[in-house]
Amino acid sequence: MLIPEVRQKWANPINTITIGATPEEGGTRTRTVTVGGSTTLPFLHFEGKIPHRPALAMEVQDITPKDWPEILGEHFSDVWDDPGRWAKKCVDKFGADLVCLRLAGCDPDGENKSPDEAAVAVKSVLEAVGVPLIVWGCGDNDKDNEVLPQCSEISAGERSLFGSITEDNYKTLVALCKADGHKLIAESPVDINIAKQVNVLATDLGLDPKDIVIYPTSGALGYGMEYVYSIMERGRIAGLDGDTMWAMPILCDIGKEVWKVKEAVSDEIAEWGDQSQRGPLWEATTAYVYLLAGADILIMRHPKAVSEVKKYLEKLIESK
Amino acid sequence: MIFIGERINGGFKDIVKAIKEKDKDIIKKWAIRQTRAGADYIDVNIGAVSNKVKDYIWMIETVQETVPTPISIDTNKLEFVKEALKLCQKTPLINSTTAHDERLDQLVPLAVEHEVGLIGVCMDEKGSPQDVNRRVELAAKIFTHAVEKGLPPERLFLDPVIMPLKFLQPQAADVLEAIRQFKLLSDPPPHIGVGLSNISSQTIESRLINRTFLVMAIEAGLDAAICDVTDTELVNAAITAELIKGEHIYSDSFIKAYQAAKKPRIGD
Amino acid sequence: MALTGLGIYKHLPKTNCGDCNFPTCMAFAMQLAAKKVSLDQCPHVSDEGKAALAEASAPPMKLVKIGKNSHELLIGQETVLFRHQEKFHHPTGIAVKVKDDLAEEELANRIEAINNLHFVRVGEEIGVDLIAVEHSSTSPQGYARVVKKVKEMSDLPLVLLSPDPKIAEAGLEVSAERRPLIYAATGKNWQQMASLARKHSSPLALKGENLEELADLTQQIKKLGVDDLVLSVDGPRVADTLQDLTRIRRLTLSKTFRPLGYPTIAFVTGKDPFQQVGQAATYICKYGSIVVMEGTEPWKILPLLTIRQNIYTDPQVPNAVEAKLYEIGEVTSHSPVLVTTNFSLTYFTVEGEIENSKIPTYISVVETEGLGVLNAYAGDKWSAEKIGKTLEEQKIKERINHNSVIIPGLVAVFRAELEEDFGWKVLIGPEEAARIPSFLKNEWKVTS
Repeated sequence: MLIPEVRQKWANPINTITIGATPEEGGTRTRTVTVGGSTTLPFLHFEGKIPHRPALAMEVQDITPKDWPEILGEHFSDVWDDPGRWAKKCVDKFGADLVCLRLAGCDPDGENKSPDEAAVAVKSVLEAVGVPLIVWGCGDNDKDNEVLPQCSEISAGERSLFGSITEDNYKTLVALCKADGHKLIAESPVDINIAKQVNVLATDLGLDPKDIVIYPTSGALGYGMEYVYSIMERGRIAGLDGDTMWAMPILCDIGKEVWKVKEAVSDEIAEWGDQSQRGPLWEATTAYVYLLAGADILIMRHPKAVSEVKKYLEKLIESK
Repeated sequence: MIFIGERINGGFKDIVKAIKEKDKDIIKKWAIRQTRAGADYIDVNIGAVSNKVKDYIWMIETVQETVPTPISIDTNKLEFVKEALKLCQKTPLINSTTAHDERLDQLVPLAVEHEVGLIGVCMDEKGSPQDVNRRVELAAKIFTHAVEKGLPPERLFLDPVIMPLKFLQPQAADVLEAIRQFKLLSDPPPHIGVGLSNISSQTIESRLINRTFLVMAIEAGLDAAICDVTDTELVNAAITAELIKGEHIYSDSFIKAYQAAKKPRIGD
Repeated sequence: MALTGLGIYKHLPKTNCGDCNFPTCMAFAMQLAAKKVSLDQCPHVSDEGKAALAEASAPPMKLVKIGKNSHELLIGQETVLFRHQEKFHHPTGIAVKVKDDLAEEELANRIEAINNLHFVRVGEEIGVDLIAVEHSSTSPQGYARVVKKVKEMSDLPLVLLSPDPKIAEAGLEVSAERRPLIYAATGKNWQQMASLARKHSSPLALKGENLEELADLTQQIKKLGVDDLVLSVDGPRVADTLQDLTRIRRLTLSKTFRPLGYPTIAFVTGKDPFQQVGQAATYICKYGSIVVMEGTEPWKILPLLTIRQNIYTDPQVPNAVEAKLYEIGEVTSHSPVLVTTNFSLTYFTVEGEIENSKIPTYISVVETEGLGVLNAYAGDKWSAEKIGKTLEEQKIKERINHNSVIIPGLVAVFRAELEEDFGWKVLIGPEEAARIPSFLKNEWKVTS
């Protein structure tokens, strides 16, 4: 029996973004990471092209984390006092495509590190690894606006991905991005309309829409994941349909969310089974689901979650 | 919303002058202005100014050398359509056929062969439609003929034929109901388009009438209009109507975002 | 679109007789498409026309029931490609496999383990839905014995996994009253499998080399009067299964392609647990009506049950609990009072932590329209004033002999107003629910 055609022709490919710059391109990276460019929904090879696979970043911080559970921390406790060595282990031992340096130490309510100290952390990671870098501030707008300029300057030309701009705070980072040649993470609080608006505001200021990665905030499996999932699906469809303000690759910050929740962190609930498997699986599963909704960059923590997601990705990107 | 810019039409004095004097600048000006305003197609209509095909060719060439916007070939002369089809670089629309068998037989094969869009106007030898049912009959006839001959619904535009509000006021409601019913004809439905300015023919509050009717028509299911695309309030009202229908994602700067959007074109 | 004007017009007499009170058949067809009239207004539609129109107005995807009575699983009858368009209706059934070559005791343990795979999350019971009994090498009697054992030890609906009609028949003989899913009819055995399905009124899965073959099979089997069908989607690769599941859903909903308008079943492959979960996660999110998993470890199954719970939530219904005063444990007049929002996830998380602490506590839930602590604050859905008023309405002062309340750490800013305007002694609780037990143990003190 003849089956009717259901292949859809989408109007607009998702933007392609390259993070990292090699010496020929003005940086010092030994390789670059390119994501995006799909002409269809995730992994539907039969109707479109998926030229670049999603990339996995592993998270390091500029301070030793205090609240990482044993089953996570045990993989990094030999290196996590030094962001450079920590980053190197993530790349050499655990296969990270990128390193995400989260400047948690700069939190004014925490160790309140200075812009100089932050820049040193950035530099040490750049020197320790050849993969591209994501630099994420501490989340306090005023502090980040102080700290990130130096981080941007010290990595000028490296085409790093900086986080993040929001509806209320974007001018500093947009200027830095243009001056030093970086890319930007555009953040919104689980709100598809604000996500679009942030991109309009930033592009109005002269940022190239192709330099943007959308971060709709991530929820861990069981903790609001479906809200984000549906925003990602709706937004991705709109982008493919021609909405240029939603046609950017999407980033999911998974490790940070998952390693807060009971199902990953607790070893007290016997009926949930072995935590040493459950924790990394909770992180991997959150990643599996977001991949189906269009995640192009995943920031993760546990080495086993990273290796399993990478393995699973191989299966999803196989096409005839 | 598919906006078809109406201004390059031999019914306007400056266009008449341009054609007679072969003054490219006037044509270019309107091609550029309409394109900047967001026109998806530029309608080119020679009116009663000339019946020489070379004059029509001159109009099309002038538009094409100025803007990359696709053209709406607005003529009832078969020869003009054929010549224009040879010239058009971007996939054009044929504006239009009616429901007359003879016209359908001439124009549907051309649209199928050249893989272009076709507007079908719901009129036949019995004249203009007077009510909803007649419009639906004619729409069904055009649709069935076109699809049977191989024109896919995505390339067909049905026009329920607007009558001037000033002279035939009750028909305004009929057109809106006809649009609603056209949408139920098939799955997927064809496009539905109108020559908008007809509604406000010889009125004083023309812009207000055009704008309000367009919004109501969009709600009923309209997705294309030949209109004054340089009327910013008209275009913004249409975009907002589509937003309210949920066809675009809201953002505070939604008009700006819409203007930046890439719209799928026939022939892409 | 269910029925289009032209689709209906095809089945009308096309005489324009006017007996329906419309001038033409086309006009009547349009009215019917708009659901403004009913078909019986036309006295001249043929029986074939009536049947065709009735069939065309049925839901595009069949609803299939597996099992019986209180342990029945409903799958299919889906209406959208994406949950945000409306919602997904029938949550993916999760099946766990049991092989028929297990020793007696191991079999019993396995069934027990499967029975225990249920949990409570956010106030809702979630658990495995089916047991799939896989035939390997035993005789029909051997297989029947295992099916019988499973049936006796578990209430869950069953799937009988064998391509051999004799084996399926043996399994059915001991379990037919439970209406198990027969897996599966193929191009080679469909007549026998269909006849078994009809005899026992059991749902039937179909397996084919490709979608074309599946479509042919459904039509052949339908002619025999068996229409409770489930389409098996078997890759062979993971990417193929995902794409075929997508094609089937699109064909069903966008093209109303009835030969494939049925629910689906997919299996995880390979031995690696994290990879199995990856596959199952994919098929739960993307159009799998049943997913068959391997292994009974809770840490493997819990994430899948959670995905299903999340994805099958109705996006349009706010996840909210009733705004009232809740008592957790044996509360007394000395018990602490925690204030929180009525967002389900927040409420159940707080309640869970209080239960962990083993300290009886009141929870005063404030109406915030299903928004959590921060979102409600950002959206002006709660304030110090609203909390104060809620506490009054809930008449808490009649239940306790202290005047302390604990508010979430993230809205510490409410404290001053609550104290000044409402006379409460306000304690700032933790920002994260996980710290509630230690807070209640160490920092809560009755200050009467």
